[in-house]
Amino acid sequence: MNWQLAGWRKRLLGLFLVVGVALWFFMGHNQRLYQKPIARVEAAQTVKTTRVKDQFENVDYQITQRLKLRLLNGTYRGKRLTVTNTYTKSQGLDQAYKKGNQVFLTQLVKKHGRLTAEVSGYKRDRPLVMLAWLVMMLLILTLGTAGSLALASVLLNVLLFVIAIEVDLKFQDWNAFWIFAILALCFAAASLVIVLGPTKKMLATLAATILATAVAVGLSALVITWTGARGVYYESMQYVTQVPRPLFLAETLLGSLGAVMDEASDIVATLFELKTLDPDVSFGQLFWSGRNVGKSIMGPLVNVLFMIFLADTFTSALMYLKNGNSLAYTFNMNMSLGTVQSLISGIGIVLAVPLVSLFAAILLGRRG
Amino acid sequence: MSTINALGLILLVLMVLVGGKQGWAAFLSLLFNFGFLYFGLILIALQVPAVWVSAGLGVVILAITIFMGEDDLKTTIPAFLASCIVAAAMLGLIILIEHLVLVQGFSLEDSDDLEGMSIQIGISYLSVTIAAAFLSTLGAIAEAAMAVAAGLTEILATHPNLPNRRLFGNGMMIGKQIIGTTLNTLFFGFAGSLLALFIWFLGLHYSLGTILNNKIFGHEMVIVLVSFAAVIITVPVTAAMVIYRRNHSPESGSNV
Repeated sequence: MNWQLAGWRKRLLGLFLVVGVALWFFMGHNQRLYQKPIARVEAAQTVKTTRVKDQFENVDYQITQRLKLRLLNGTYRGKRLTVTNTYTKSQGLDQAYKKGNQVFLTQLVKKHGRLTAEVSGYKRDRPLVMLAWLVMMLLILTLGTAGSLALASVLLNVLLFVIAIEVDLKFQDWNAFWIFAILALCFAAASLVIVLGPTKKMLATLAATILATAVAVGLSALVITWTGARGVYYESMQYVTQVPRPLFLAETLLGSLGAVMDEASDIVATLFELKTLDPDVSFGQLFWSGRNVGKSIMGPLVNVLFMIFLADTFTSALMYLKNGNSLAYTFNMNMSLGTVQSLISGIGIVLAVPLVSLFAAILLGRRG
Repeated sequence: MSTINALGLILLVLMVLVGGKQGWAAFLSLLFNFGFLYFGLILIALQVPAVWVSAGLGVVILAITIFMGEDDLKTTIPAFLASCIVAAAMLGLIILIEHLVLVQGFSLEDSDDLEGMSIQIGISYLSVTIAAAFLSTLGAIAEAAMAVAAGLTEILATHPNLPNRRLFGNGMMIGKQIIGTTLNTLFFGFAGSLLALFIWFLGLHYSLGTILNNKIFGHEMVIVLVSFAAVIITVPVTAAMVIYRRNHSPESGSNV
C-alpha cells in the first residue's frame, strides 16, 4: 500500500518536473506571441549618477544607464540597438536593468539606418508562471486529491470572478453591488459543492454563510449611512472606474465570504462528527459545541483578512509618511477603507458562529 | 461617532457576546496587530531596513495571533514554533521571487494617486514590497498552524500512545480537510481587495500578456501564491513539530 502510494507520487513528481522544464523553456521563448517589441539586455553600463533631494529632505540618486539590446521579436528580430534608461535608486516607478533581463520597448523606429527605442517595462511573466507551477506541484504532491479539489474550486472561482466582471462592464447602469452579490452566491454554492459534495452538510454551511455575510454587510451599510460615512474616505479607493460606494461594499462582501465559509464548514464538520459519535446528542449540546469551536477560530480568521487588507497599503502609506504627512492623515488616506473592510468581515465572521451552530443543531439535534 | 469607531464597537460587543473572554482576547489581538504594523511602518520610514523590520514584526504578530487566540499551551507552543519556521522559509522564498519579478513600488495605473507626491523617498521599494508580501502571509500561516496543532492535541488527549507515523498521518488528514476552505478564504480575501483593479483591466481590454507583465498584478499574484504555499507547508511542519515536542518533552506527556 505504502509502496504503491510512493510510486504514484513519484510518477506525478516526474510529470511535474517535465512540465516544469517545458514551461520554463516556453516562457523564455514566447516573445513571438507578443505584439510589443521585446529585447534582451546584452550589456548594461552606468553612465551618470546624480544626487537628488526633494522638498521633504529625502535623498535619492538618479542613475542613467546605457543598455545594449538585441531584439527578440518583430520585423527587426535579431537586430541590435543601444538605449538609455534613467532610474532612481529606490526604483518606485522606474527600474534598473541588468544583463540577461528581457524588456518591453516602445517607439521602436528606424532613423537614418539606426534603430531607436525606449524601454517601457520589464518582462516578468516567466518567474510568475514558474511560481504558480511550484505552488500547484506542492499542493498536489503533499495533499493529493484534497489538494487537487481545492485547486479546482479556486480555478472555478477565478472563472466566475472574470464572468461577473464582464457582466458588470456590459451592464454599467446596473448596481455593481447586486451583480457581485449574486456572484457571491454562485461562488459560495460552487465551492461548497466541490469541497463538501451535494449533502445536507453543504446546505447547512451554505445557508449560514449567506445569512451571516448578508447580515454583516447589510448592518454595516446601515451603520455607514447613520454615521454619515465619517472617516470613510471613498476617494482614497484605488483604481476606481465606477461609483465607489457600491463597489466598496461588493469588495467587502467578496472579501469576507471566503472566511465565513471557512469557519462555517469547520463548525458544521465538527458537529456532524459529534452526531456520529453520539446519535442522541441534544440540540443544546450541539449548539454549545458549535459555539466552542467557532470562538477559537474566529480570532485567527479575522486576523488573516486584516493582514491581507492592511499589508496591501504598506508601500503607499510609506510614501505618504515620507512626504511629510501626519500619522492620522496617512492612516485616513491609505488604511481607513481596509480597516472598515476588516471590521465588516469580522462582524460577518462572528455572526456566523451562532448562526451555523443553530442551523446545524436544528438539522441534527434531538429536541428536548 | 466615526464609522470606524461604530463598526469597531459592534465587532467588540459581538465578539464578547459570542466568545466571552476569548472573544475579548481576539479583539485585542486585532488592535495589537494593527499597532505593531503601524509601528513597523514608522520604523521603515525612519530608514530601519524594511526586511529586518518585517522579520521582527513577523515573530511578534505570529505570537499575538496564536497566544491570544487560544489558552492551551499544548496547542499554541508547537503552532507558534512551526509557524516561525514556515514564516522564515517564506521570507526566503519571497526575497528570491521578488528579485526575479521586480514588482516593487508603483505602476502606471497608480498615476492618479501619485499626483503631487514625491516618490523618490530614498528607501528601496523592493525591500518594502518584500516586507508587505511577507506580512500579508502571516495571518494564513498562524491560522493553519493553529488548526493542525489543535486537532492533533485533541487526538493526543484521547490516544496518548499513538505512534509517530500515525500521528503525522492524522496531521495530514486535518490538512486535507482544511485546505479547500483555507485556499478559498485567501482567494476571496484577495479578490475582495482587487475587484476594482480587475474591472479596470478588463474594462480597458488589457491583453493576457499585458496583465501577466503588469506590476500590480504581479505583486498580488506573488502574495496569493506564496500564501498558498505557506498554508500547504504549514501542515506537515506543524504535524512534525507536535511529534517532535511529544518525543522530546522532559517528562513525557505531563510537562507541555
